[in-house]
Amino acid sequence: MSDPGIILPAPEPAAARLRPERTSLWGRALDQFRRDHAAITGLAIVAVFFLMAVGVWFGWWGTQWSQALGGRWEGPSGGHWLGTNLLGQDIFQRAVYSTRTAFEIGLIVAILSTLLGGLLGALSGFYSSRWIDSVLLWLMGTLDSIPFYLFVAAVAVAMAGNPWAMHIAMVATFWTTTARLVRGEVIKLKNLEFVEAAHAIGLGQFRIIFRHLLPNTFHILLVQGTIVFVSAIKAEVILSFLGLGVQDGVSWGLMIAESTQEVLAGQYMNFIVASSFMFVLVMAFNLFSDGLQDALDPRRAPR
Amino acid sequence: MELLSYVIRKLIGGIPLILGVTLISFVLMVYFGPDKTFELLSKNPTEAEIAQVRAQLGYDRPFLVRYAEYLKEMATLDFGFSDSTGERVSSILSRTIPVSLALLAPGFVLGNLLGIVLGLVAAWYRGGWVDKLIMGGAVVGMSISFLVVIVAFQALFGVVLGWFPVRGWNVHDLPSYAYYVTVPTLASVFVALGYNTRFFRAVLVEEINRDHVRTARAFGARPAEILFRNVLMNAMIPIVTRILFSIPLIVVSGSLLIESYFGIPGIGKVTFDAITSGDQPILKAVVGLTAVLFVLILIVTDILYRVVDPRVSLTGDAR
Repeated sequence: MSDPGIILPAPEPAAARLRPERTSLWGRALDQFRRDHAAITGLAIVAVFFLMAVGVWFGWWGTQWSQALGGRWEGPSGGHWLGTNLLGQDIFQRAVYSTRTAFEIGLIVAILSTLLGGLLGALSGFYSSRWIDSVLLWLMGTLDSIPFYLFVAAVAVAMAGNPWAMHIAMVATFWTTTARLVRGEVIKLKNLEFVEAAHAIGLGQFRIIFRHLLPNTFHILLVQGTIVFVSAIKAEVILSFLGLGVQDGVSWGLMIAESTQEVLAGQYMNFIVASSFMFVLVMAFNLFSDGLQDALDPRRAPR
Repeated sequence: MELLSYVIRKLIGGIPLILGVTLISFVLMVYFGPDKTFELLSKNPTEAEIAQVRAQLGYDRPFLVRYAEYLKEMATLDFGFSDSTGERVSSILSRTIPVSLALLAPGFVLGNLLGIVLGLVAAWYRGGWVDKLIMGGAVVGMSISFLVVIVAFQALFGVVLGWFPVRGWNVHDLPSYAYYVTVPTLASVFVALGYNTRFFRAVLVEEINRDHVRTARAFGARPAEILFRNVLMNAMIPIVTRILFSIPLIVVSGSLLIESYFGIPGIGKVTFDAITSGDQPILKAVVGLTAVLFVLILIVTDILYRVVDPRVSLTGDAR
């Protein structure tokens, strides 16, 4: 945090590999993260899922998720690795295709709400106790007061079945936590010498906010982004069950929702496959996110 | 006297928030909500008929007038009649809310109590294998979707073992209550436990590392006594805050899934049906009331801080 203009540490010269303790936030974080086996495992699993999603994106696999390829409730076989569902659709293909849906929802919601939260949080913090801060705080308090699932339902009612209602509602609710954290950090940072110096040499306010303050909250944005990603994937399942989620395509949430009737008939394959795919990705992301938090939070003592 | 003026100031301070949440639910669900004009008209209506129905529904009046009317509905708890059943919304609410409270109370209490106990144990043995086991379990619990837990528990206890009912709510005495409430309670405890344990452990670890705890240990106090008197009691403020704040969330979000899945006639089932059928009078009542309830809890918490912790300033911003 000594040099405000630089987000990431510069590439280290070879001599640094003799490694006297690294001192920058990111250098220390990297060292700590590398030692965290659970976090590394989590990151590796997330990477595998991401490749799976990229493959679906390019049409390499998971292309036949909607056709009825077999009879209903076929067991696992060479043709259908994990059997078929009520409609005779291939469960494995559907689960793989859903990986793409999950990453789309997670990434869109995480990126947008982190951007929004970072931007508004920085403004709110920089102009703290002025009117713009009061308005933003009021907005955050208001949005935080409406229970999430009801808010999504309300947005869905207002947008009359628009497929983006879910994304919009998620972004509108998830940015507030990020904004509050960034606001606190910016309030802390703006009294430090480097900001005073920036004022002294006559930099404009927006330049100070975007060039000097916001980059220094990047560790918060990164951690919050991973937390929002997980929340979005988990929320999608519930929303799809409520009929407010994914409108076209297939997702783990839709698979679980359609499997609820199959389970009562003693057919568990669809349910188990969709839940397992989702559980493994969410669990891996949670481990990764925890590792990131441990590495980046200066208050958390290294274990 | 000082306290009374503090309470009044806090209540006044809550007004912008209440206006905010009601404004958002009004804009989303009434102003941009479903247009009922053509449901009330015969086929091939004339311009004059359309205008007459719109006037009857109040669609032609200005924004602020309609918002004021919504506020009046909120204040008098009179939301009109359900679109799908024609029953008065306020009587639906008073019939279903007690069911939801009876359904969710045991899971809510157990989930928090167990979370605190596990958090205490993990905090006491922090860094050791007991801690790692509990926190590992918490991450696993956090990674499983609520819906998955409900479906799995229902299949396990209702279909495979056949111990408890799969659907319904036929409660007239204590044994029948226990019969219907057990599986939903297990599910909600399971889901809440991961998040609760993690939060409580973090709060308790902070307290356990303080000097006064070390002093108590040095004086030879028993672990149970230290944990209860020195650690738990001092961490009460964040713990109570979290528990209070989770109430609106639990009542609505928790009951939404459990009740619609188990077919229990509580407020969550009513809300679920209203979402799927677009029943706007019920939705606007539920959304508006929960949001206002949340703001009230916010204010009550602030006041409780003052009562519990004398260090909280009465004049400055207490948060």
